[in-house]
Amino acid sequence: MMEPRKRRAVVAALAILPALAKFAAFGVRHVPGPCQTPACGAAAYAQRAAQATEPPAVLISRQLAARAHLSQGDLVTLGSDPKGTRRAVFRIAGIYEPTPDPMRFTATRLEARMHLPDLVDLAADPADPASREAATTINVRLADAADATKFATDLAARTPGVTARLASRPRDDDPFAVLDRFHIAISAVTMAGGTAFLLALMVIRAEERRETVGILRLLGISRRTLLLSVAVEGVAIAALGAVFGILLAFATEGLVNRIFQARYDTALVFVRVTSSIALRSVLIAAPLGIAAGIAASWTLLRRDLLSIVRR
Amino acid sequence: MSALHLAWRTVRRYRAQTILAIAGVAVIGALLFDMLLLSRGLLLSFADLLERAGYDVRIVGGGGMALRMPIPDSAAIAGLVRRLPEAERVALVRILPARLAARDGKPSASVALIGVSGAAAGVWTIVRGVDLDRAAGEACPMIVGRSLAARLGVGPGDQVRINAEQAGVTSALPAMTCRIVGLGQFAFGGAGDESVATTFDALHRASGEDRAGDADLILAASRPDAGSAALVSAIQRARPGLAVYSNDEVVEQFNRNGFAYFRQISLVLSSLTMVFAFLLVATLLTVSVNQRLGEIAALRAIGIGRRRIAAMLLWESSLLVGVGGLLALPLGELLALGLDRILRQMPALPEQLHFFVFEPRALVIHAAVLVVTAVAAAAYPMWITARMPIAATLRREVVG
Repeated sequence: MMEPRKRRAVVAALAILPALAKFAAFGVRHVPGPCQTPACGAAAYAQRAAQATEPPAVLISRQLAARAHLSQGDLVTLGSDPKGTRRAVFRIAGIYEPTPDPMRFTATRLEARMHLPDLVDLAADPADPASREAATTINVRLADAADATKFATDLAARTPGVTARLASRPRDDDPFAVLDRFHIAISAVTMAGGTAFLLALMVIRAEERRETVGILRLLGISRRTLLLSVAVEGVAIAALGAVFGILLAFATEGLVNRIFQARYDTALVFVRVTSSIALRSVLIAAPLGIAAGIAASWTLLRRDLLSIVRR
Repeated sequence: MSALHLAWRTVRRYRAQTILAIAGVAVIGALLFDMLLLSRGLLLSFADLLERAGYDVRIVGGGGMALRMPIPDSAAIAGLVRRLPEAERVALVRILPARLAARDGKPSASVALIGVSGAAAGVWTIVRGVDLDRAAGEACPMIVGRSLAARLGVGPGDQVRINAEQAGVTSALPAMTCRIVGLGQFAFGGAGDESVATTFDALHRASGEDRAGDADLILAASRPDAGSAALVSAIQRARPGLAVYSNDEVVEQFNRNGFAYFRQISLVLSSLTMVFAFLLVATLLTVSVNQRLGEIAALRAIGIGRRRIAAMLLWESSLLVGVGGLLALPLGELLALGLDRILRQMPALPEQLHFFVFEPRALVIHAAVLVVTAVAAAAYPMWITARMPIAATLRREVVG
């Protein structure tokens, strides 16, 4: 009924199937068919093809498709053990991008997805009828998510051997909450270093304007007015700096993501400059700029007028 | 007057900006130093934990190092390994979820029950009492994690009751009574240290299984004259198809898979901090030189050569970066303690694993990076002063 365009005797390398990890111990290897010669293989295949219906469909990950040079419509043989004693032919119905998982972004996502009955046929132990009834994970959507803890406790108590876990991870148990704290700490240290440099630059700048300030003071302009002018200047410089920083972050965001996505072959987004992050940067940078400007100018303005004009 | 002396006088004269610049370099340098410690810290700490266990070869089940799966026929494999001339000692390890109760009526705790055959020196460190092999005659001797023992209010000599079952699961199996012989700190135990250890036989009895289950892990120590690579080869020859790893291979796997994030973040952050430090020191020196153009032109006019002026600026940069870089070391150590404490809050992380670990290589790279920064930051100001027209500058800066 169908002419196999590319009959591939490939046992595709599969990683853990998300909901059926128990069965998924596949390896990449060539599985020899019952016939070793091309003629015999073709005859046997034609005979089987005439008898069989359309092979079941399977979806494979983009990474697996690239690794095994597979494309949509290809026939593949999947085996559930390294020797390929239990195997079946599938047709690739589509190629999918695995959902990015930050916990596994370093892993190569060699995966396939198939209908549960097909997987059971492929992987169940013929000597163990109970293995056809076993699943590794059952996902449950509750009518009311607030009942999750109570449901998990009830289920665990009623069904010995079953562990019920919440799909959402509590904040205290989330490694990304820890990474958030780590990143905030590093940002704080960088800000501290940057502030010291900013202060040093403002001190130099204030010293540069010593004579101008002296003349303005001699003309009768008050310290307060001069400090206010410095503060306004600080706001302008800090705002410009912050806007430049945000634009730079936006410009480099894509580059950083592309580098890391290529490095780890994932669609995971590593850097995202959100409006709240941009706003937070401005809110931190602006007061710091003003404070550094005023502090540096004050070291000059607090001096006696004659000392400012070096008399 | 030498260039160093001139530079020293300059940094003393502009005291406030010098102190602020040094503070900035110290903070940024501390961050750079920490990123260098982080770049290999977890790896070094992990390797150290493996080495401390006293076994340099691991045999695992079909799930490889990532998944804990029983090793079929583990007792026979352990016997085979024991007979190999390259092997010094072998231990079987099996882990089951269990519940541990101190006394009837008191709340029990979910624990990881570790059953070990033979000596397992190094898998845990005894902090009170004695080890399992020194509790002869005890049917179910037990080592309890330090913090778990404190939480349950138990110590060496106390009796506890153990059920090999998962949390929240009802079981009809009677609990087994064990005697605590020691308190320990488990090498791969988490901060809660909710691990207990007993003998392989006692674990089998607690499990209620009709036959002794297969081990999850077989640990082997090679003879010093053979080495781990020779033992791995010997095991693979004797029993092809087994998943056997030396500690170096385990560390290498960890390096490839589990450690990538911190290696990348340390690379990105150390590169950024280096660029940041360079930009800031270069800006500071350039602004400072622009402010002192008249002074430098006067020095040139009285016969101080271009080279000595350039050397003075290089010394200024070196003094700022050098002193800041030196201060960065203790500051970096303090910062590393804080950052390490934050990262070690990650769930299920072994208590003895650290992210920031000192190694001489980090110090050498830190020094090299700072030297490059100091030279690069001084390059532009040196170029400005070298091509500065003396008379025109003096006229503009002094007379004007």
